[in-house]
Amino acid sequence: MTQKLKISSTLRCDVLIIGAGGAGLRCASAVLEKKPGTHIVAVTKVASPQKSHTQTAQGGMAAVDPRDPIDKPIYHMFDTWKGSDCIADQNIIKKIVEAGWEQAVWMENRGMHFTRMEDGKLSKRTFGGHTVNFGESSAFRCVFEADRTGKGIMDNVWGESIKGGTTFINQAVVTELLIKGDRCVGAVIFKQKEGEFVSIVAKATVFATGGNGQVFKVTTNCRQNTGDGNAIILKAGLPVMDPEAIQFHPTGIVGPGILASETLRSVGGILRNKELEPFMEHYAPKMKELAPRDLVARAIETEIREGRGILNPDHNIEHVWIDLRHLPDYVHDVEIPEVSGFFKKFINLDPKKDLCPVRPSNHYQMGGIPTNENGEVQKNPREMVPGLFAVGECAAASFHGFNRLGTNSLLELITMGKFAGEKIIDTLGEDVPDAPEDAGERSFSLFSRFMEAGAKDNLGKIREEMRNLMTEKVGVFRTEQGMNDAIEGLRELRERADKTVLASQSLIMNQDLIQRWELNNLLDNAMVITKGALNRKESRGGHFRDDFPDRDDTFHYHTLVHKTEFGDVHLEKRPVDMSLYEAKGEHYEKFGIIERKY
Amino acid sequence: MYNEIYDITLKVKRYDPEAKRTWVQDYNLKAGRILRFTDLFRRINNELDPSLAWNSSCEHAQCGTCAVQINGKPLLACELLVENAVAQFGTSVFKVEPITIAPVVRDLIVDLEQAYDRVHKAKPYIIDGAKKSQAQAESQILPRDLERYVEATRCINCFCCATACISSHKGFLGPNAVMASIVRLMDPREQAREERLDLLYSEEGIYRCHTSKACSFVCPKEIDVAHFIALAKEGKFKT
Ligand SMILES: Cc1cc2nc3c(=O)[nH]c(=O)nc-3n(C[C@H](O)[C@H](O)[C@H](O)COP(=O)(O)OP(=O)(O)OC[C@H]3O[C@@H](n4cnc5c(N)ncnc54)[C@H](O)[C@@H]3O)c2cc1C
Ligand code: SF4
Ligand code: SF4
Ligand code: FES
Repeated sequence: MTQKLKISSTLRCDVLIIGAGGAGLRCASAVLEKKPGTHIVAVTKVASPQKSHTQTAQGGMAAVDPRDPIDKPIYHMFDTWKGSDCIADQNIIKKIVEAGWEQAVWMENRGMHFTRMEDGKLSKRTFGGHTVNFGESSAFRCVFEADRTGKGIMDNVWGESIKGGTTFINQAVVTELLIKGDRCVGAVIFKQKEGEFVSIVAKATVFATGGNGQVFKVTTNCRQNTGDGNAIILKAGLPVMDPEAIQFHPTGIVGPGILASETLRSVGGILRNKELEPFMEHYAPKMKELAPRDLVARAIETEIREGRGILNPDHNIEHVWIDLRHLPDYVHDVEIPEVSGFFKKFINLDPKKDLCPVRPSNHYQMGGIPTNENGEVQKNPREMVPGLFAVGECAAASFHGFNRLGTNSLLELITMGKFAGEKIIDTLGEDVPDAPEDAGERSFSLFSRFMEAGAKDNLGKIREEMRNLMTEKVGVFRTEQGMNDAIEGLRELRERADKTVLASQSLIMNQDLIQRWELNNLLDNAMVITKGALNRKESRGGHFRDDFPDRDDTFHYHTLVHKTEFGDVHLEKRPVDMSLYEAKGEHYEKFGIIERKY
Repeated sequence: MYNEIYDITLKVKRYDPEAKRTWVQDYNLKAGRILRFTDLFRRINNELDPSLAWNSSCEHAQCGTCAVQINGKPLLACELLVENAVAQFGTSVFKVEPITIAPVVRDLIVDLEQAYDRVHKAKPYIIDGAKKSQAQAESQILPRDLERYVEATRCINCFCCATACISSHKGFLGPNAVMASIVRLMDPREQAREERLDLLYSEEGIYRCHTSKACSFVCPKEIDVAHFIALAKEGKFKT
């Protein structure tokens, strides 16, 4: 019994924002501020924009205060370049860093509540990798709103978008991009509550769909982060850049994957294995627990692999311990109350008395939809797709290269969101053609195939198997053999998924149907991550090859991955922008190919 | 301590929008002590019944998507651990129902968009910001000013309070929406005070509140919602 699928209605607007998180709505606000009355439609998968992932960011946002007597933008640029393992684009680094402070001010004038000291000065935190004077000492450049900076930002840009008259379509997924000739003219969305497809024609279409963390078993990302943006772009025949550049945070709290911040280690938390041995001294005798994120993640993963991990039976996840028991009450109560609170709330442990379970968790996608400095999407290193933009975690400009520094993501959202918004204003005068004749056909045939499959299996189980496979073979450690196995495994999972019957044929709020669709997206993401990682026979930033443990500068380029069929890709190179180095200005030598040693 | 397994029964209130049918379905699970109710729902999908629909996003109590009623109490399913639920409710049989603040779309999923309409009505933004003396300066809010209302900025619009509120269904904007406006009245940047007061003292406003404090009692973010409403009722913001 197949229902006839059709486009129920067509909507016209000026700007279509796909994904109403921090980046998408900062972009909407920028357009509305400069051009009030612009008709913006913002689509989100979640029940309200406020439920987007940006809401959960805690730590803060990097921004160099021009009044700061010690800190300077050039230091922030250097840290970002070095952190990226010398593969971010320098034109982007410069543009974003220089715009940071103005954006912080913009937000505070519109409702943000940055934490301030008694005298009214902004409080600032330090974060790993952020330094002054090119690595000399820690920089205090992160502004924050208590332990809920992301929520503050989300409330802020959401509020501004409501105020400007944005039309929100919540609980809807974008399923297909509308391309006419060379130009993007909008997208097809599927409204879950109504079970209807709607075609939206727009002068500018902006992807801001966030990350793909759900590809991995333990992730700090929210449930909706299934890499839809990457997948839809790939389906439209466009490339995704550097998909292999994935960040794993060393200490996710076992079970929910909640982030246990680095502060735990900086205040003296000790990592211990099954034998309660403090193992970091074997991996980084000097820095121990304070070694960089990727090194700590690999150390923990090695302990687990070599049988010195502990299995949590409830979540069926292996982990190590972080020991905080020896820390004075003051540290627990004043310096780490939030994270301590997480252990109490989510695993019923008291870090003052109990060992706490942590393990490396997927955290961030550095790669994504390739764009230039205005968020315009590229179809290859030389050409853009007119009418199409991408910002936020789903996009790669690239500001983070192969390793993102903490607090640099929120900065990227709001700056790139604004730049794209301003660029979009230029396009608003254009006439946009109607949707192509076959709008929706690809979505209908996909959904019909889901409906027609008949084998008894379970999509949730297939998803879990994929997440295990990716964590094991394409996670913190990668090898050629492992990744070839992963590709085989992904093909099999895809075949199983294609045959699996849905729980119900209904189109209305059919969670199984949406998760079926997401599973395809996850598998597409998993495949391009693996293919990208297989191609990159070196280790760089978050991408670590056991068989090629060193950085190799013959790979000093971005990879553009085009998908042809599932499992078949075509790779292209995009050069890395080195304009700061090439400008030969003051300190230019810091922006050459330097060592990433801390 | 690590090996306890609980035998849990979830009696889930289900709704099929096409057949317009409501029923209660029992699911029996063996569950470890630190699984959360969202983990249980996922287990049901993966092992027993993929058709059960439920909502979540962040799954660590930051977004307010997963609110449901467990044995009549509105709470966040992603922060309720099996072991705590058994202790708190003194049983291993749980009635699981959607929150009551908006029509049910399917099973445990309600039309939060409709509930959010009330928050939108309360204008969750600075309507008219203070004129800045210097164009580029930020708006300083001193910690002592912020302290008066900082608690209310933690609200994630989970609508647990609105579900618990006896006056919330007809006519009243509801505790969280009202608080969204009050918090901006307390914000020194907001100039549009009259407009906010008009809404607060309107038909849909604070006079519908009976000061029962159910809202404060259930708030998962431990916000004393009723306190903020009481301030408005006392006329603290009238100029
Ligand atoms: C726990 C945690 C803490 C963090 N803390 C920090 C921090 O302190 N500082 C920092 O700088 N960074 C931090 N980050 C990173 C940062 O929060 C994210 O990178 C950022 O919020 C992503 O924002 P976004 O706007 O790109 O996407 P999101 O906020 O993820 O929004 C994506 C939007 O797209 C929608 N969407 C997705 N797919 C579709 C689809 N198919 N159709 C329609 N809509 C869709 C979603 O519903 C959502 O509305 C943290 C990340 C995590 C996981
Ligand atoms: S006040 Fe509390 S209970 Fe009410 S919506 Fe906000 S967070 Fe939820
Ligand atoms: S105090 Fe007022 S708002 Fe709160 S639950 Fe009672 S009636 Fe509702
Ligand atoms: S899913 Fe976000 S609060 Fe529970």
